Amino acid sequence: MALFGSSEKKPEVKTEFMFDTESTINQSTLAKDIKINGSLESTDYIDFSGHLTGTLKSSTINLKPGSYVKGTITADTITVEGEVDGDIQAKDIYIKSTAKIKGNIRYQNIDIQNGSIINADLFYSS
Amino acid sequence: MDENSTDMDENNTESVGDEIQSTPIDNDSKAVNIGSGVRVDGRIEGAETSDISGTLTGTLKSSNININSKGVFSGDMSGQEITISGSVDGEINSEDYLIVNNSANIKGVIEYASLQVSYGARIQGTLRHRGSVQSYSPVSTDEVKEDEINENHEGDQ
Repeated sequence: MALFGSSEKKPEVKTEFMFDTESTINQSTLAKDIKINGSLESTDYIDFSGHLTGTLKSSTINLKPGSYVKGTITADTITVEGEVDGDIQAKDIYIKSTAKIKGNIRYQNIDIQNGSIINADLFYSS
Repeated sequence: MDENSTDMDENNTESVGDEIQSTPIDNDSKAVNIGSGVRVDGRIEGAETSDISGTLTGTLKSSNININSKGVFSGDMSGQEITISGSVDGEINSEDYLIVNNSANIKGVIEYASLQVSYGARIQGTLRHRGSVQSYSPVSTDEVKEDEINENHEGDQ
């Protein structure tokens, strides 16, 4: 998190907490202007609005509107509101109306909102 | 469909007689209704609404399609408004909207314009957005490529 100090300056992020204790949760917010080539890993919660080419791994990932990820995304829970070109693997995947996805989706539970544009192969696994 | 004809006739002879006297056809509802426990093999075309609670194998073309939770479909279906709550194995082609409910189990290729999937639904296969697909693989490009390949081969020989 220290890496992305600039984004932590936004105090409104804190209000999004829905957890009991702040201290036990690591939440990272990556702002729109962030561009990453490589891999990004976290054990808890990532709010991602930037551009990433590479791999993204966390427990919970929120890909915000305007975000772009080319590569592999792995998480327990993923919410996609941005654009993804690559592989998504998660237990729960929520695809929102603003999402645009190309590639492969591996999931246990999926929820798709209408308006999203998906050109992908879906793999269900129990 | 023969399977539902008794049902449909009872419902429609009354309304046809009362309201649409100019129509010479007995049943003009263009509705297909396959009840649960009923098996149908074949091709259905020109239907307006299709309610499938039984098993249908083959081709289904209907502007409105409902595969209910007990319904089992295998084959190709195309329509404008499609709702899936049951089981589908094959191709789904929806021109307008496709709703996949949480009890649905789909295997195959889905082509859609607007798609809504409820949490819990199982989909195994390929999703294609109608608008995007056309821009991704224009026919002309393939033809050009084939021509180029042919020319190259000729050149080699």
